[in-house]
Amino acid sequence: MRPSRVPMTGSVLAAALVLFGASESAAQAKLNRGLPLNSDGGVRIYNNVGSVRVIGWKRDSVAVRGNLGKGNSIHMGGGKGGIKMFIEGMDDRNPAPADIEVYVPAASKVWVKTATANVEVTGVTGSLDLYVVGGKISVKGNPADINAEAIDGSIVVNGSPGWLRAKSASGDVTLDGSSQDVTISTVSGKIDADGTGFERAKFETITGAIRFAGSFRRGAHVRFDTHSGSVEIGMPAGSPADFDIVSIAGPITNKLTSARAVKGRYGRGAELTASSGDGGSRIEVRSFKGPVTLLRLE
Amino acid sequence: MTDDIIDERELRELEARVRKLPREIAPPADAWAAIRSQMGASESPSLTRPVRTPAFWQRPAFLAAAALMLVAGSSVITAVAVGGRNRDVVDRPAMSAGQVTPASSAPASLAEFTAIENDYISTANRLAAMVESDDTQLSPETIAKLKESLRVIDAAILEARRALAADPANRELMEMLSTSYNQKVDLLRRTTEMGRS
Repeated sequence: MRPSRVPMTGSVLAAALVLFGASESAAQAKLNRGLPLNSDGGVRIYNNVGSVRVIGWKRDSVAVRGNLGKGNSIHMGGGKGGIKMFIEGMDDRNPAPADIEVYVPAASKVWVKTATANVEVTGVTGSLDLYVVGGKISVKGNPADINAEAIDGSIVVNGSPGWLRAKSASGDVTLDGSSQDVTISTVSGKIDADGTGFERAKFETITGAIRFAGSFRRGAHVRFDTHSGSVEIGMPAGSPADFDIVSIAGPITNKLTSARAVKGRYGRGAELTASSGDGGSRIEVRSFKGPVTLLRLE
Repeated sequence: MTDDIIDERELRELEARVRKLPREIAPPADAWAAIRSQMGASESPSLTRPVRTPAFWQRPAFLAAAALMLVAGSSVITAVAVGGRNRDVVDRPAMSAGQVTPASSAPASLAEFTAIENDYISTANRLAAMVESDDTQLSPETIAKLKESLRVIDAAILEARRALAADPANRELMEMLSTSYNQKVDLLRRTTEMGRS
């Protein structure tokens, strides 16, 4: 499959980097370069095909290692406040994959854009902005915040970002951890969230399945939206939650509390209002025809 | 699922019909005739008759402010959808994306929803044209995958729109439709940004 040609802010960026930076020769396949960077500096990385692995470390510098791929060049430059780098293929329409590892100060702000290249980030505590078309995004650790967007790639987050926004169309999105503020959105991809500490959260899909297992903070406001995908919410018995569930044409099953769904207020569908524990967290579910199930986690 | 298969032609026709819907509807012709006849019947020229002060909502200043609010309100969707094109970093927690939209912000009536829907449709059409333009940097495979996702969203919109036609007072349906339209516009916006040159 020909990779998507994600632009690299054009030739202007290339010219700028050549002026103040340096580029590895196309003949050199192995890569090993470094530049100083403030501990909270910014790092921007473009690599269309192959893989990008970003690792947070304790040093105030950036090191880039890996395999450039045949015919590719890396353009890299910047100052202590920010660094940019991009891989340029000799054949823009059919670039060779480049697999790079980028070591960055742990608190730095990292921005990565790829087409089909997978992006993996570990140990970064600063902000993450990650964009792929068809590659997979994987984040491990506790970044301050994460914005991850894909068209048909999957997104996996293991950790506890302070803020998370993850969107894919046909790719799956998985969160294993906790976060105060979460938005996860897909069209047909599956949403799978395990964790605690959610304060404000929004899970939305059109046809993908949503599975949530965990609990919410008292005072939380959480919303699940689906058209035809199933919604399964599992919580430990007694977890504080006030449920407000409306389904236009789908069934509602409650295995968490003793409350039962009633006929919808518009004369069809079903609705369920139920409280678990002492209540105090507002959980709204809206489904057109996807089945909604509340489960008790052991 | 068979009922997720969209009749794209039908959706396009529906969208075209919605676009043609008037923003306002004039009163029936015979209403004016009745009003005139009543005015004529009550007309008794009197120099002492006090000049009627227009209600506050009829005053030019109020009408101008209302018009401005309407224009601003209907532009919000477009601004939100297109305004982020040149951003490098998304809005951070100060403008929390995870903030749940309160139910009270849902359209209060079918007329209000229809106006919002028109904005969604025109914004989506504009973004779709950008994605399909010759300038796009996206591969045909990516475009094909995008179209497949758009078909899924359009099928959901069509199904919910039919349900709303049968149950026009259902605010839950309006809210669900707004969510689906929002996802469509957001997907197109993201794709446009990915393919930006």
